[in-house]
Amino acid sequence: MNTAEDTLTFNRPTASMAHLELKDVSIGFGPEGNRTEVLSGVNLKVEQNEFIAVIGFSGSGKSTLVSLMAGLQRPDSGSVLLHGTEVTKPGPNLGIVFQNYSLLPWLSVYGNIELAVKQAFKDQSSSERREHIERYIEMVSLTAAREKKPGELSGGMRQRVSLARTLAMQPEILLMDEPLSALDALTRANLQDELVRIWEEDKRTVVLITNDVDEAVLLADKIVPLTTGPGATLSEPFQVTLDRPRDRTTLNTNPRYKALRNEIIHYMTQMNKESKALRVDNGLEMPDIEPIDFSAA
Amino acid sequence: MDSAKISRVHRTLTYLIHMKAKAFLANALVVLTSFTANASDLDLEKDELKVGFIKLTDCAPIVIAKEKGFFEDEGLQVEVIAQPNWKTLLDNVISGNLDGAHMLSGQPIAATIGFGTKAHIVTAYTLDLNGNGITVSNNIWAQMQENDPALDTPQPKHPISADALKPIVEEKLDEGEKLQMGMVFPVSTHNYELRYWLAASGIHPGMYTETDTGGRTDADVELSVTPPPMMPQVLEAGNIQGYCVGEPWNQQAVFKDIGVPVTTNYDIWKNNPEKVFGVTKEWSDENPNTHVAVIKALIRAGKWLDEKDASGNFVNREEAVRILSQPNYVGADYDVIKNSMTGTFTFQKSDQRKMPEFNVFFDNYCTYPWYSDGVWFLTQMRRWGQITESKPASWYFEVVEEVYQPDIYLQAATLLLEDGLIEESDVPWNTNGYKPATTEFIDGIAYDGRDPIGYLNSHTIGNKDPEGLAKK
Amino acid sequence: MKFKILKAIDVAGLQMLDPVVRLFYGETPREQLRKIVLFIVIPVLTIILSVLLWSYLAPRHTTKAGEVPTPGVVLDAARGIQQFHTWENQKADDFLLTGEARQNALAAVDTRIAELTPLSVAAAASVEEAKATQQAYREKYATPLEAEYKQLRNDLKAKEDSQEEALIAEADTLGVNDVAARQAYLKKVAAFDAMEEANKETLRAFKDKIDAVYSEKFPVLEAAQTTYNTIEAELQYLSKRRDYLTADNQELKIASAQIELKELETGFLSATTGKETFKAAERMLKKQESIDRIATSEYSRPWTFPRQIWRSLACVFLGFFIATAIAIPLGIFCGLSRVFMAALTPFIALFKPVSPIVWLPIIFIIVGGFISDPDVSMFHPAFLSSAITVALCSLWPTLVNTALGVASVDKDHINVARVLRLGLVSRLFKIVLPSALPLIFAGLRISLGVGWMVLIAAELLSSSEGIGKFTWDMFNNGSSESFAQMFVVVFVVGIVGLVLDRIMIVFQRLVSFDGAPTAL
Repeated sequence: MNTAEDTLTFNRPTASMAHLELKDVSIGFGPEGNRTEVLSGVNLKVEQNEFIAVIGFSGSGKSTLVSLMAGLQRPDSGSVLLHGTEVTKPGPNLGIVFQNYSLLPWLSVYGNIELAVKQAFKDQSSSERREHIERYIEMVSLTAAREKKPGELSGGMRQRVSLARTLAMQPEILLMDEPLSALDALTRANLQDELVRIWEEDKRTVVLITNDVDEAVLLADKIVPLTTGPGATLSEPFQVTLDRPRDRTTLNTNPRYKALRNEIIHYMTQMNKESKALRVDNGLEMPDIEPIDFSAA
Repeated sequence: MDSAKISRVHRTLTYLIHMKAKAFLANALVVLTSFTANASDLDLEKDELKVGFIKLTDCAPIVIAKEKGFFEDEGLQVEVIAQPNWKTLLDNVISGNLDGAHMLSGQPIAATIGFGTKAHIVTAYTLDLNGNGITVSNNIWAQMQENDPALDTPQPKHPISADALKPIVEEKLDEGEKLQMGMVFPVSTHNYELRYWLAASGIHPGMYTETDTGGRTDADVELSVTPPPMMPQVLEAGNIQGYCVGEPWNQQAVFKDIGVPVTTNYDIWKNNPEKVFGVTKEWSDENPNTHVAVIKALIRAGKWLDEKDASGNFVNREEAVRILSQPNYVGADYDVIKNSMTGTFTFQKSDQRKMPEFNVFFDNYCTYPWYSDGVWFLTQMRRWGQITESKPASWYFEVVEEVYQPDIYLQAATLLLEDGLIEESDVPWNTNGYKPATTEFIDGIAYDGRDPIGYLNSHTIGNKDPEGLAKK
Repeated sequence: MKFKILKAIDVAGLQMLDPVVRLFYGETPREQLRKIVLFIVIPVLTIILSVLLWSYLAPRHTTKAGEVPTPGVVLDAARGIQQFHTWENQKADDFLLTGEARQNALAAVDTRIAELTPLSVAAAASVEEAKATQQAYREKYATPLEAEYKQLRNDLKAKEDSQEEALIAEADTLGVNDVAARQAYLKKVAAFDAMEEANKETLRAFKDKIDAVYSEKFPVLEAAQTTYNTIEAELQYLSKRRDYLTADNQELKIASAQIELKELETGFLSATTGKETFKAAERMLKKQESIDRIATSEYSRPWTFPRQIWRSLACVFLGFFIATAIAIPLGIFCGLSRVFMAALTPFIALFKPVSPIVWLPIIFIIVGGFISDPDVSMFHPAFLSSAITVALCSLWPTLVNTALGVASVDKDHINVARVLRLGLVSRLFKIVLPSALPLIFAGLRISLGVGWMVLIAAELLSSSEGIGKFTWDMFNNGSSESFAQMFVVVFVVGIVGLVLDRIMIVFQRLVSFDGAPTAL
């Protein structure tokens, strides 16, 4: 059981240790002899208050990576360390925002957040708790919808609820598993801005998993590409040195932004070609078309 | 219109004319009458009773005692509850769901000696005499008429024995089949009467044995249990070719053209005992005064049912039929029950007869719990193998004395006599419980309750016991 | 407003009213009218059509056991059942009436008796008249036929006898071992047998004619009997009411008992010897006791159909409650633990198909063992046994659905629980159960339906008061109304079942957060 006290102790980082660290992590599934390695030899260091984006293609093992970091899954080999202590089970200090929101459909917006807050802060008085919850609902601009059930909300609103629920637990590390990928472009852009705003307001360590380069560049301090599976691993990170606050309207014309973006896209497509070349035996000629992402337009 | 009805209408009319004028007086009068009846000095152990019955017209005394207020006069609130079948009825009495019930005469005896469900059941009141009939299908009747032209008239001579049936049975046997007939319960009077009727004409109805609880060993005709209301339908469907059952199920068959009642149990054994009022010994011991009170009400009901005018017509039967035809009692159509209850019986549509003694509820000292009745049922159980081993005569006497309780009956009768509700001549005050020997059976064989072994041995078909046991 | 109504209609499962409301608010009239035709007009037409078909077919199908009742007859039977109920209630009321109310009721009853008595006399006369007509008809047609039949039978018999004699005589002349002659003779005997058979046939055919005369229906007689019986039944009822308004009335009974008590009191006060005084005192106390008893007594009303319906409902809900209390916890354990599920699977498979008719006697014995004195127990044993039978037969759908619901909780929801580090209990109540609730309710709905179906059979066997017992009793009555009463039962059971199902649908909708469609 995690309590506020635990969180406090965790909050005292030792200088030498990274905040969250993955050491030689490997995981796979399937029986002996027909085993598929999903991730192999993954190494990552996340510093305090750092915003890291892991970028990769669909099916490359991004969700598995988040599960490992959140403690929902254990690696077959290697270790996931938080302040040098092995993460063995999930908890409120490792806040996770799921790709498909994972809201409890029978609870209202308030109820969903309340459930999480009650668990994370057991000692709160009821008025404190109410205030706490209201604050986070306010933060994601859902005050008007606080009594609505998830079924009555749009996708974007649901993801905001999910975000508010995770933030309300005040986790040390916020893990986001493609939080915006199920949304339409406009909503997505909106929420990205929202994320930026919230992060500015409530600085904490974030690991964002995404398949959207623009999103990664817009939000992250560091972008780590995930190679295509099976046996995916993390490549050398790209440092994002753009100044904050970043404004998406002016960013488009920023040459440093453009260069970084192109570099990453080039790296990613190159990697994808290589991995395709490895799998020529499927005998199917793929059309030579590059995907265009309109989301940043 | 018969005289009973005229007198009833007349009574109502006179009553109405006087009533307006004397409304107050009349009320006071009624109150006073209820007084005298209310003078029960019995210290009741229990005043709310549940009494079970089966939907047959011979439940009449119980229903009448309730509807005419005889139970209430004793300070009893009685709920009269229809039971689905004889087995459930007995189980409910044993388990205490019911305080007492309308039972087949054989049930208390069989339960006490442990044939079927074992429980000590006693009876202090015989509800009625006669009241059953044997019906065969139209087809069998036509064949019987061909076998015996004397039957082939609009009104054949009674009693009709099974002699004309015998060739049909034999023909069937030659074809490798057995005639099937229905009766209502293994220890019911119907079973014994049907067996008696068949055996009297040399048709073997089958024996019960240790292993054959269906009673079909050596049978020429196979008997099976069918619930009374199903009889006409099952007969029409051809599963059985005949049955023995109480009213209204024989009359139903004639009116619906399903079958022909060939004989009644009155012809098989004149004034045979039919149903009794049974309670558990335990209940009787715990509630002795209540038991007496119930018997008092039943005696009055029986007397009411058999009340006759100067010309010998029943005066209350129509009212009784009206009550019985209510859906919570017998529930059959008024016109169907009325036939047998008012003393007419339709054998064929062309053959309607007066049978004033078809149902006897009080006359002939019928309500007294005769030991000799019990002995007869025991002899039948032995005759057909339901009692598997030979028993000495003394055993028969012991068993009936355990089951039949004339003391309670006489106690109730004494109280009624004191209140002036019955006459001295209504009750056999000084009997030893054994009716005089009689030969009024269809085969003329004499029955004396004091000699069960001799009686057993006087039949051709059925178990016989060593003569030596008669003295033991 | 409109949407509130529509929402309410939707939750209540009365979607067929939806187009009506929309039409009322003037929304796309063509579309709504089309829906009204589809959802309302067509079903109503089907019902009307089947009733018409029923009325047409029923009188054309008669068996000897009875006629298939027409809708009209069924309606009459329903009225009869209702009347019995009203009458019994009236008697119960009469028993408790006091003072002027009693006098007024009595006057009303007497007026009605005065009205009916002459009618009854007239009806009796017309019955007699119709009977006489029937008798005359029979005498006119049947008697000559019977005489003719006798003659014919004797003639044929004489002919057979003479032929038989002739054949016997002829046989005397046959040479021993004369094959040809004997063959010819054999043929003659065969011809004789055939003739005998033919004669039998002739006689039978003739007899059918006589039977037809006796079976001739006399609608006038039947109608007269019905009228007479109706009047007489009411008179019987009125005379019973009279009893409850006079001698058997509670107030009057108490009054008369009080007079007696007064007398006893006088006797007690004036008693001189010790023995007498003691006896008088005892008598007085006993009288007082009996007065108290009368004061609290009630008219012992027989179970009428409307009351039996309520009792059946009580029984099915008790059974349903027991089933739920067993099935949901077991289902949860099964859903949570594979071991538990494996342990229970054989039992589920074994007991699920067992019929109520098998359960009941077993349960009866078990329940009987616990209830030694039915008078003091809270539930009547037959009632309890029926309820438990209902429970045993109906718990399976709930059990299986609960297990399924619990076992198939969305993995994401489980992850949420893990992230929140919910304990076993709060995980169960906050995540697993709410998430399984729609499936559990779907199971409960099936269970209630099964229970209602099973109940009738259970009551029929256990003779616990209720619809099942009513059915068996009415069947046992074998009255001319029995079949019609069965039809009434069919409709009542159907309608009550429908209402129960609708109620469960509403519950199911209320808990189904995901807007899952519920089957009809």
